[in-house]
Amino acid sequence: MSSKADWKTILEPVDPDSNEPLFFSRDEWNTVEALAARIIPTDHDPGAKEARVVVFIDRYLSGINYVFASADGSGFLEMDGKHAYSWRARISELQQVYRQGIVDVDAASRETYGKNFADLDADSQDAIMIKISGKPKPASVNLGTTEPSTTFFQFSSDDGLPFWPALCLHVKQGFYADPVYGGNKDRMAWKMIEFDGPKSLKDTMDGTYSTADKFVDDYSWGDLIPVLQAQKEYPVPAKSDIIYK
Amino acid sequence: MTNKQKPEAVDVVIVGLGANGGTAAKVLSEAGLKVVGIERGPWLKNDKHYSGDELKFVNRNYMWPDSRLTPRTVRRSENDVAEPYPFSMTPQLVGGGTNHWAGWVPRPRESDFMLRSLHGDIEGASLADWPFRYDHLEPYLTKIEWEFGVSGIAGADKTEPFRSKPYPSMPLPPTRWGKKFYDACNTMGINAFPIPHASVTNNLKGRNPFNRTSFWNQYGDPSGARSNTATTFIPEALATGNFELRSDCFVREVKMGKNGKATGVIYIDDDGAEIEQDAKVVILTLGAIESARLMLMSKSPQFPDGIANSSGLVGKNATFHEYLFAIGFFDKEIDDPVYGWAGNYISGGTMDFYETDESRGYIGGSITAASQTCHPINMVFPGRPLWGQALKDSDRTFFSYAMKIGLILHDLPQEANRVDLDPNVKDYMGLPVARITHKAHANDIAMGKWQVDKNVEILETAGARKTIPVYLDQMTGNTCHQHGTARMGFDPAKSVLNEWCQAHDVENLFVLDGSGFPTATGVNPTLTMMANAWRCSDFISDYYLKGREMRLSQPK
Repeated sequence: MSSKADWKTILEPVDPDSNEPLFFSRDEWNTVEALAARIIPTDHDPGAKEARVVVFIDRYLSGINYVFASADGSGFLEMDGKHAYSWRARISELQQVYRQGIVDVDAASRETYGKNFADLDADSQDAIMIKISGKPKPASVNLGTTEPSTTFFQFSSDDGLPFWPALCLHVKQGFYADPVYGGNKDRMAWKMIEFDGPKSLKDTMDGTYSTADKFVDDYSWGDLIPVLQAQKEYPVPAKSDIIYK
Repeated sequence: MTNKQKPEAVDVVIVGLGANGGTAAKVLSEAGLKVVGIERGPWLKNDKHYSGDELKFVNRNYMWPDSRLTPRTVRRSENDVAEPYPFSMTPQLVGGGTNHWAGWVPRPRESDFMLRSLHGDIEGASLADWPFRYDHLEPYLTKIEWEFGVSGIAGADKTEPFRSKPYPSMPLPPTRWGKKFYDACNTMGINAFPIPHASVTNNLKGRNPFNRTSFWNQYGDPSGARSNTATTFIPEALATGNFELRSDCFVREVKMGKNGKATGVIYIDDDGAEIEQDAKVVILTLGAIESARLMLMSKSPQFPDGIANSSGLVGKNATFHEYLFAIGFFDKEIDDPVYGWAGNYISGGTMDFYETDESRGYIGGSITAASQTCHPINMVFPGRPLWGQALKDSDRTFFSYAMKIGLILHDLPQEANRVDLDPNVKDYMGLPVARITHKAHANDIAMGKWQVDKNVEILETAGARKTIPVYLDQMTGNTCHQHGTARMGFDPAKSVLNEWCQAHDVENLFVLDGSGFPTATGVNPTLTMMANAWRCSDFISDYYLKGREMRLSQPK
């Protein structure tokens, strides 16, 4: 068994323009693509459909080859040992959750409208999604309010999630993840939210990618921290000796 | 199972090579002792394995324990059946939590060492003083700041107790959201300053801190900016020639001998071979959850309830902190962006709300600091719409227009809050997993409410046009801070470890992580833990292994 430290890099970055499913059937692909297009819809900016989120989800569910990109984004890590065993079980469960979820969505669509989900208009699709989620369509977030919450465990992992929250999470992941995984084509989701993310994962490993311009440039510690001016023990720092400005 | 030759006995075996195991490895191997360090996880290399991949590091838990292989369970009270829950799943690999951490390293305060003297009995809590004081630790806080690398501005925190030296590195410039925090604090008369940060911005000890990517909290750092024992203390230990590192090896038992001392440890290597490593001294630094689990699993005729557990206190009085916060949104149409996602997680903070003010309705207090709202997939945004136009609109509107002010909740110890062995759930090797029993104290809830409301007030002063306060319901283990499961003290009936974190029952067993903390403190604990691990390692090399006596008396 090889250590996680020694996992080899295999394959290449996923081609977002691929129309060849590795996991979904053609019909399943169409249903998931249509669902994703309502989770992050297209307006004057691209949505999940244009960002190729369906490719991202299909590759993820196809086995354990597309779970972890290599650090530099040149391909994917080939898992081994207990980690491979655990991820196979996790993906296998998600495959079943998706297969059944898609069956349920299309069955509900046919029952109400006599057509599969992908063939419905947007309003009818939303009506099915409200039914499947068991909750009203999310309302817009407005300024001018205070909305208390309590501590929660943010669902960063998809382990054990049912179909609907897993799908919503995966669509968000596919939309915003590094393009190596197959979604966020041409970094279009990052452009939409004006996030100037790295051009490649490799650029985050060697100092090429920098967000130093998002810090404050024009500052003095003495102004920010008035007590510094009163204390005598240590010199008040001027602009610092920070390297990599 | 394969047979392998039994390795040679050594002076010291260290189990767990995170913040504290890395510190002990450096100090003891530099003192000339032969040391073996055993780590259950891999040895990832920062320049080879780490990059700014949000999906991999934050969602798919590349660095974190796989909760299917090594689950934990949680329950709120005695009569509940514990459910699997990824509670405080600190990364388990060489460097431990110093691989992923944001790196807040404020100094503890004098009051943290004497809560019982200050407040007496608090109903439902098991307050205890520490067996030493801030002054005992101060030289070691300074050693960690200079040897490990901490950036900060001396004199900027007017509440800080005595320090013998300034910081070795300047902090990063303020972020835009950090600037909002400073400005609001100055309006309100609050003393804001850069939270001391376990990272450097200069070439301290030859480091190359080029990472300005903002991929920080939860990510590994490919540069030399972040202070991580895997890139600092552990290479320094290896350079002595006295230290051997065995990664991907799981210690399942501390073995007792007939003479009342531990003989060493039994571990399972990555090929499944079971190996015994003998040593004169056994040091546990697995974190307060896993150190307690290993002690409870190490049963022997002398200790049927777990090694060094004659007091019955191993695992009890567990404290975990909780990260609470409030989010503030600005108006994209009117305001400038604050780029909440940018920066190395922390910027300005304050200790003005740290000391007890009984008019607030609770004892103790918390560090408060502005911090990153993180990257697009995992933006910290309670109530973020799940789907539809509302999701897209709110992402587009708020991604660069949100900031966060958070706090570390100083939870009070309670004997019933504890770590024990789950009777039902096993890990992938068939060993019982750690079960957490934890219910928040009324003081915890009250502190969280007051402090979060204060955060809202600062956000509103900063000009936020919408706020989302996040209050404490129950602990989720979201800080990865773990303490108290083998508390230190002078009385062997009321504590597991003495003032050197040496087991009262087993003189050559030391637990040098947060397990010994009698109370949690209201600051991020790693600086205090590492300073204490260094202090206790000095005791091991200079006194214990030389057969010399050294005891502290009960501080006044």
